[in-house]
Amino acid sequence: MTDLAAAPIFTSSRLRWDRWRTAALGQFPLIVTIAAYLFLFVPLLVLMAYSFNASRSTVVWSGFTFDWYVQVFEDRRLRGALANSAIIALVSAALSTTIGTVTALAIVRRNFPGRDALSTVLMAPLVLPEIVIAVAFLVFMVFVNVKLGFFTLIAGHILVSLPFTILIVRAAASALDRRLEEAAADLGADEVQTFVRVTMPLLMPAVFTAFLMAATLSFDNFVMSTFATGVGTTTLPLHIYSLLKLGITPKINAMGTLLVLVNVLLVIIVLGRQLRLVLRR
Amino acid sequence: MKPRHANIRTVLTASAFGIALAALALPTAASAEALHIYAWADELPDEIVQDFQKETGIEVTVDTFDSNESLIAKLEAGASGYDLVNPSQYAVQILAKKGLVTELDHSKIANIGNISEVFQKVSYDPGNKHSMPYIWGTTGLAYNSDCIKEPVKSWKAFWDEKYKGRIYMLDNMLAAYIAALQVNGYSANSSNPDEIAKATESLIKQKPLLAGYNSTNFADLVASGEACLVESWSGSVINVMKENPHVQYVVPDEGGTMWVDGYSITKNAPNAEAAYKFLNYLLQPDVAAKVTTLTSIASVVEKSKALLPPEVANNTAIFPPEDKLAKADFILDTGDATKHYQDGWTKVKAAQ
Amino acid sequence: MTRSSRQRMITLAMLAPSTVLMLVFMVVPMLIVVGYSFADRDSYGGVVPAFTLASYGELLQPVYFPIFYNSLKLAAINTIWCVLIAYPVAYFIAFRAGRAAPVLLVLMLVPFWINFLIRVSAWVVLLGRNGLINASLQAFGLADEPVRMLGTYGAVQVGLLYAFLPSAVFPIYAALQPINRSLLEAARDLGAGPTEAFARVTLPLSLPGIMAAILFVFVPSMGVFAIPVLLGGGKDIIIGNLIVQLFLEFRNIPLGSAVSVVLLALSSVGILLCMRALRRVEMNRV
Repeated sequence: MTDLAAAPIFTSSRLRWDRWRTAALGQFPLIVTIAAYLFLFVPLLVLMAYSFNASRSTVVWSGFTFDWYVQVFEDRRLRGALANSAIIALVSAALSTTIGTVTALAIVRRNFPGRDALSTVLMAPLVLPEIVIAVAFLVFMVFVNVKLGFFTLIAGHILVSLPFTILIVRAAASALDRRLEEAAADLGADEVQTFVRVTMPLLMPAVFTAFLMAATLSFDNFVMSTFATGVGTTTLPLHIYSLLKLGITPKINAMGTLLVLVNVLLVIIVLGRQLRLVLRR
Repeated sequence: MKPRHANIRTVLTASAFGIALAALALPTAASAEALHIYAWADELPDEIVQDFQKETGIEVTVDTFDSNESLIAKLEAGASGYDLVNPSQYAVQILAKKGLVTELDHSKIANIGNISEVFQKVSYDPGNKHSMPYIWGTTGLAYNSDCIKEPVKSWKAFWDEKYKGRIYMLDNMLAAYIAALQVNGYSANSSNPDEIAKATESLIKQKPLLAGYNSTNFADLVASGEACLVESWSGSVINVMKENPHVQYVVPDEGGTMWVDGYSITKNAPNAEAAYKFLNYLLQPDVAAKVTTLTSIASVVEKSKALLPPEVANNTAIFPPEDKLAKADFILDTGDATKHYQDGWTKVKAAQ
Repeated sequence: MTRSSRQRMITLAMLAPSTVLMLVFMVVPMLIVVGYSFADRDSYGGVVPAFTLASYGELLQPVYFPIFYNSLKLAAINTIWCVLIAYPVAYFIAFRAGRAAPVLLVLMLVPFWINFLIRVSAWVVLLGRNGLINASLQAFGLADEPVRMLGTYGAVQVGLLYAFLPSAVFPIYAALQPINRSLLEAARDLGAGPTEAFARVTLPLSLPGIMAAILFVFVPSMGVFAIPVLLGGGKDIIIGNLIVQLFLEFRNIPLGSAVSVVLLALSSVGILLCMRALRRVEMNRV
């Protein structure tokens, strides 16, 4: 540290300001984070509140009732759409994450001709508006005579989420400290062992992140789903958009609230134990 | 160390499990007869479908779409797997011209006589060759009487400076031109380029007064007072009217238009016989009455009106008075005039 | 089998799934779209095989220029806001949150499990004339009459920020998380203050994440159509609206394809640059 006595310009108040400023800057991430989460969650609270709305409106409050929750449980089609969405989200996210991880590692770690070109092509679904991809996808499916249904829907969702999973794992893989893997090799581990016991665990947070992102993209997906869906595979967003013609009701709020609660519960149960183990190094 | 292996294994197991689930959830080859319908979500209540299933034992799946345009695009790409689709009137014309729906064999629909006269001779599908009408409504305007004290009767209100910033038009080319053409005294189905150009001018003049174009949640906007005046389809606003008596739906003096949602059988429908049975079922007066009660939309079956509870039968938003309907017509597919409409609409949307 | 050919086999195996997926489901369909952009249309929205530049010529008309310009402007502003806000949040989750990190990440996605249309209803409740924010402003005497929020450019920006914030946070987090803390300790030992350590160690290492965030936000922002309509009033159309309109409402497949190709070209340039920069950063790392 500088010798304070020898530098007359460093008066004690200036020092206090510096310390305060460093402390404030240090807290800057926390402040922004709190603001961001408030921003994300206040509308959510509004939605949850309106799920108890006594009228059909989702914007004008008229009183309290549980009726909408009852209706959710009685609505066969809504539950069917929900089941479809959940299954497709889990399956497409799992596949997308697996393929994305493997691809990201290949791009980051390995040398091969056309690497730049390939990594750009892999970003293609990001570049184009989803409607174009979706219509082209459908046309192609019909051309090769593939029956529309779960598999085309899952393929479509993987297509849409793959750039995300690849880039997320890629960002993590490139920030990884190679010396840890070198150390493992020095200690006698072969390639496979190093991969399984050092690389993958280090990448797990990113892989998990990618999985979450892919699952969410799939669950909320509308455009690709409209065109890639077949008979009996209506997903939740498709069902809800169709309800628009006559107006959506707080029944959808109720279902959304239930989904949030289930999700949060799942997080606490599954992640609580599992990820603490993963992240501990 | 166990935890690390466990995680990769978990991911793989989860994927395998997921794929197994998906395989189980796939529609199995039904031993019962199956009928696949592609429809507007709330217009075909689940109860109606369930009743049909119980009566006939035919297993019905209903998938839903959000717009006629999506429906057309989906069918056009081919091999949809649906037997019955639920297009609006102008979409029927397009589907018919593209050969995507078959000609109906009326001999297979015993109840076809139950359709009221008005809907037996429709301009968009003479003789109901390609579609069977199901329900109908009007395109008009809705306003919030808290906001606009005098009753609104005409499209002219949409060009009134008084309501600047509180007006929404439907975000739909055909709907917007209904208002613009009729306010200028022309037919909503005009194919005259000069008339269309004049209507385009009106729409561009109107744009600074608008709060926006909205076909999605305009009912909520007018119910909450965010908007004072919105262009509206009758079905969309009926439900908010039940809750908020300040919301009024009006078929304007210039005429407005009627819309009809009907059913068509697709070309290469896997089970056309079941489709005919369903169409016949929908035309039963008691079933039609149930549909109207559940959806708050008028049915094409004349006899069903007598079976309705009074508050539904007397609802002028569902059943506008005869004199109002006389001036209304169906919005048709624009056919050869399409280019003029599209160019005009692009100009309107791009205008600053 | 030699070591290098085995290596090559492994590389091939790793790249195969995604490459095949992309080629089959993306590249081939895209070639079809490019082909359509040169085709003709019939009055019923069918595509007539032909080779004509009519669609591209159409796009040169002045009415289309503001649409492209507005899209780029909207996307750029949104990207800047998203990255500026996402970085501190990602930083907090990666460096300060500890065990709570996965929970925070999942929480960030929770709003997206509720359908988009209902989220818009929430904004109507919040931003409407008689909405909660206006009510509070008036209750606290900060405004005499309702402030117009819905239907403004600001509302669109807020809506886009809401929609894309997680897309920006996730990649930046993924890049920050593996950064070796001992590097930062070393920087401190060498006399760097916390700000300097951040600027010279953390920030450069997180660059791939920032680039991914830019890609995740900028390009899709140009393709959005629902938010500008529902929150912005729909009076100004952008590329996303235009494409949906052309494909579905106008059924002008060739023109819609042409706009898509233009969008593809515009974005590809940006993506190629980003990918090149990403490669350079990754190479300096290894």
